[in-house]
Amino acid sequence: MDSQILLPALIFLPAALGFLGCVLPRIVFPVSVAMLLAYAFLSQNLIGSGVSYVFTLVGEGGIQFSIDLYTFPLVFGSSITLLICFGLFYRRFSHYFYQVCLVLFTALLIAFSTIDLVSMFIALELVGFAAFLLIADRSDKKSLFHAFQYLIGGGLAMLIYLIGVVQAFTYTGSFLLTDLVRAPETALCLIVAGLLTKSGVFLCGLWVPNIYSHANCQSSAVLSGCVTCAGIAPIARMSQILIPIGDSMVVIGVVSAVVAAIYAVFERESGRALGWSSVSQLGIAILSPTYACAYAMQHGICKALLFSTLHTKDRSKLSDDSISHSHNQLAKTPSLPVEEFIRVIVFVVASLSIMGFPYLSGFITKNWVKTDLPYEAKIIYTTASLLTSTVYARLIFDRVSNFIDHQQPQTGLALRRISRNIIDVLSTPRLWILLVSIIALISFSFVDTTLYSTPSIRSAIVSAILGGILFISVVGIQADEFVKPITRTLDLVGAPFLVAALLLANLLYLKI
Amino acid sequence: MMELTPEKIRLIPMVALIIIGCFGLLNSKSILRSLFSLDVIDTATISIFVLIAASGGAQTPIVSESRYSQYSDPYPQAIILTAIVIGFATQALLCAIALRLGRQSPMLRYRNLEK
Repeated sequence: MDSQILLPALIFLPAALGFLGCVLPRIVFPVSVAMLLAYAFLSQNLIGSGVSYVFTLVGEGGIQFSIDLYTFPLVFGSSITLLICFGLFYRRFSHYFYQVCLVLFTALLIAFSTIDLVSMFIALELVGFAAFLLIADRSDKKSLFHAFQYLIGGGLAMLIYLIGVVQAFTYTGSFLLTDLVRAPETALCLIVAGLLTKSGVFLCGLWVPNIYSHANCQSSAVLSGCVTCAGIAPIARMSQILIPIGDSMVVIGVVSAVVAAIYAVFERESGRALGWSSVSQLGIAILSPTYACAYAMQHGICKALLFSTLHTKDRSKLSDDSISHSHNQLAKTPSLPVEEFIRVIVFVVASLSIMGFPYLSGFITKNWVKTDLPYEAKIIYTTASLLTSTVYARLIFDRVSNFIDHQQPQTGLALRRISRNIIDVLSTPRLWILLVSIIALISFSFVDTTLYSTPSIRSAIVSAILGGILFISVVGIQADEFVKPITRTLDLVGAPFLVAALLLANLLYLKI
Repeated sequence: MMELTPEKIRLIPMVALIIIGCFGLLNSKSILRSLFSLDVIDTATISIFVLIAASGGAQTPIVSESRYSQYSDPYPQAIILTAIVIGFATQALLCAIALRLGRQSPMLRYRNLEK
């Protein structure tokens, strides 16, 4: 079929399916899983192939799309994230949730593939609405207020972006991303500040930890896996064609990676620590325009797995007065020790992957980014990865000790029932998803075998061990006094202005 | 030095509106005031789009037998329609959430909600 028709149809298929789900809720789940599998398969085949399609949606002067090497990794990552969430939480989702996720997927596809600034604005706003609905799904006071902060901060950031777009339009006469070369610096700063807020890099991304800790864990998994990736593709495209922006992104990314990792080290609550670490990882992702999308993909999948396996299942606390749209039947089903054990293993493997441990997929992406960096940035990059190792050493320690404490009283009982238990577990799809994800994380590390030189493996292992040692040395510090959660609306709303001003100063005078 | 053309002078009230809106958003004590401020910034952005589209002339861009000489650029005007709709949707969602939050703290003050 003509690709002119086929590709827009592929982009808008998930949203159509989501709206169909309002009418026929029963068939949505199998069809959407099949569709996501198809997307994951297609994009995975196309990742390394260098194929690119450019097409214009409605003839002359229409909306331009470019499906290229920035698109495929992110599409693969988001579809896998959604599949993991659908599979692991299928009892907690109402069909309302599937619809929001499917509409979100269409918005993400548009955001990954368009090179038109106004379509990007619309796609990012749609992503913001879907994320808002996912956060507000829990429907207690805290999560509602944080959803409000996210929406008002995101709305303001997008208006800043729009002002930048219109200023660029007066100079260039078009809304294309490639024409931004002729745009003035102020317009570039405003556009980048809006995009950074949406992708949740430090200083603009202060909303990330609040929201991840106050949303349901299935929502947090979707948010960390897909929503923050939406801003990565345009930033990578911009820093590829605009050299001053690319240089500024190295500064912003390094600052974000280090400062957010320090916040994460001193954070006591696991959800918030994961949120801060997400900010830090996305800071690393924007360092290199070539590998930004691959890094964001790997980080998104690992974060989705981490959020899915973060809590023991019978600890899903929901206040009684809250009216939740999603079903919460899972709390009533007894927790199976074998499955719990596998969840802990997945948590540990995903953490190690983000730490960049050898023979896991994180090692590959980390080294790709490292090869693309200037020498000065490499030192700070190594510091950031060391701090990341510290964070995840603590998270692994917390999770494993929680598991051991939890299982201790019933070990004898569990051992007696273990055979029946295994059969029970094998019949659930959750286990298969977890096992397949472990195998996939390991097998993806053999994509580029040239990276496995002795120094790189040695530095990764040393970084992990040093992270562990650093964790033991800082574990006793009571950091609650000087690391307070940032919850004031003023801080969240004012950050884009500050970043835009700093960027402008950098582009005009400092020229780092 | 930047010279002030009539097009730029026309934009000054809109920039002033944006500054007023940002000031209001950063200084608001309750949710409703933030909502109003966001709406002010939204309107100012849309007006900037419309004014820039009309910089070539304010006549309606319709092709007929007698062609106008100075018609406004239809492209930004068509594009800003979506931004208007999105701004309206944001306002609606924010109002809905303000309604829910107002059940517990009717004054909707940030001081009470941020605890």
